Amino acid sequence: MSRPAPGTHVTTTGSAPAPAESAFVLEARGVYKVFVTRGRAGRRVMTALRDVNLGVRPGEFLTLVGPSGCGKSTMLNLFAGLTEASDGTVLHDGRPIRGINTRGGYVTQDDNLLPWRTTLANVEIALELKGVPRVERRHKALAYLERVGLKGFEHHYPHELSGGMRKRVSIVRTLVDDSVNVILMDEPFGPLDAQTRLVLQDELLQLWQGSGRTIVFVTHDLVEAIALSDRIAVFTRAPGTIKEIRDVPIRRPRDVFHIHEAPGFVEVYDPLWNDLRAEISRGPEPSVG
Amino acid sequence: MAERVRSVETDDSVPGREAEVRRREAANTERQERNRRTTVVAWQILLLSALLAGWWGASGRIVDRLFLSDPVSIARAFWRIVVDGSLWFHLRYTLAETFLGYVLGASSGLLAAVGTWIVPGAAPALRPLILLAYATPKIALAPLMILWFGIGIVPKVILAATFVFFVVYLNTMAGLGTVSGGLVNVVRVMGATPAAVFRKVVLPNAMPFVVAGLRITIPAALIGAIVAEFISSNRGVGYLINAASSRYRTADVFAGILGLLIVVLAMNAGVSALERWWLPWVPRERSPLG
Repeated sequence: MSRPAPGTHVTTTGSAPAPAESAFVLEARGVYKVFVTRGRAGRRVMTALRDVNLGVRPGEFLTLVGPSGCGKSTMLNLFAGLTEASDGTVLHDGRPIRGINTRGGYVTQDDNLLPWRTTLANVEIALELKGVPRVERRHKALAYLERVGLKGFEHHYPHELSGGMRKRVSIVRTLVDDSVNVILMDEPFGPLDAQTRLVLQDELLQLWQGSGRTIVFVTHDLVEAIALSDRIAVFTRAPGTIKEIRDVPIRRPRDVFHIHEAPGFVEVYDPLWNDLRAEISRGPEPSVG
Repeated sequence: MAERVRSVETDDSVPGREAEVRRREAANTERQERNRRTTVVAWQILLLSALLAGWWGASGRIVDRLFLSDPVSIARAFWRIVVDGSLWFHLRYTLAETFLGYVLGASSGLLAAVGTWIVPGAAPALRPLILLAYATPKIALAPLMILWFGIGIVPKVILAATFVFFVVYLNTMAGLGTVSGGLVNVVRVMGATPAAVFRKVVLPNAMPFVVAGLRITIPAALIGAIVAEFISSNRGVGYLINAASSRYRTADVFAGILGLLIVVLAMNAGVSALERWWLPWVPRERSPLG
């Protein structure tokens, strides 16, 4: 608590200066990530992230957008502690992330459920790994499954569920763990069809609102980004760095099904698209692993 | 909560005409499926009868009866060795060798694969050695086994075990390697230690491969035992076959083979049952061998 609020880094929003106690939940300070790969033509050294400064506010919904291969997913992996920064610091609640960040929940594009576990057991696994007693974890898991309409499917295996249901399970299993205050979502709705996508966006907002959880979300889809986010960070093409951070002043609760008609939508969409188009049209992007 | 899995046959809430159409379509589909099954069974019976009839016809006319025997004599010979207890006397030894060799080979193959996987760098280091050993024709080792371990049960068990070991080892290694990095990462972020990742993700993920290895090595274990019996023994179905063959009693040879065939089929059915009970999460088609 005595730690001074880190205020030196840049977030290019025009909002009021943060009060002293509102330190960021997640923070990247001058982060570089360099990958060294070995191909047929010998070693290749590639900068994925260049001097990234980004602060994620407690309880906010922040989305990262950018051309493919710009390092958005790498940024999430850094927040999850799955990979280490080549330079700079990544902090969670003001402390540098060392090793795996088990206070983050990680939702990927593939649902990554354990195929040999039933729906219920899949939701329980995070609690099981943290030693929560059986009765308590069952109770919590069932409550969350009911919230997303999966009551009656507790004992189904993943291959017996639809894509949307599997995605619900993979989201809910991160929320069920109270020690997780940050959910990292890497294009979670990418593989879903358009209708299911909208339904799940709506459900995600309902699960998030009032939960106090912070979400960092990666997507290619600007409309999705606007529908969900408080703020949107635009990455440049690789090597990725933050080009712009824009507020989404559309009031909540939001209607994701009619988000185009929401007052303020166009005012956010157009500049956002201009930011992104500039990055996409800067010639062919280099391939990134 | 958009899409729901709705099962067709439990939905009775439809009005008259639609209900009629649904009933008709369901009945049609069922009839078609039944016809298809009947056709398959008819073909199977036809092929088997043709084979047996051809055999029976050729025997004594085209090919000397001494070499080929015929289905009827074989059935008689089989019945005789069943009734006089000689089949069971010999089968007991063969079964014991096969079973012990199978269990020994499968468990050591599984443990060795897990060990190789856990120790960092062990897999690439061991690879050439394993491939070399795998490429060695194990049958050629049989005389050595007899030389080392005598003519008792031990060389048969060991040869059967070597037939099983490599397949289970390589299958398990392949299965352990199929785990998705994304799945492992998700579970690590949930707080799984390396040991928990192995126990809760890597190993269960490999189980279908392990079970496939266990299934295809059943006949292999039997082959190992029989081959060792051929070379040197005074009991076992391999001995029974060998002895009958050296006295030109072809029907008895086939009767022995028939006995082995029944054993393999029974063991296969056992593993299938085990598989359904063990891996209920694997979406499965019906296997051609049940």
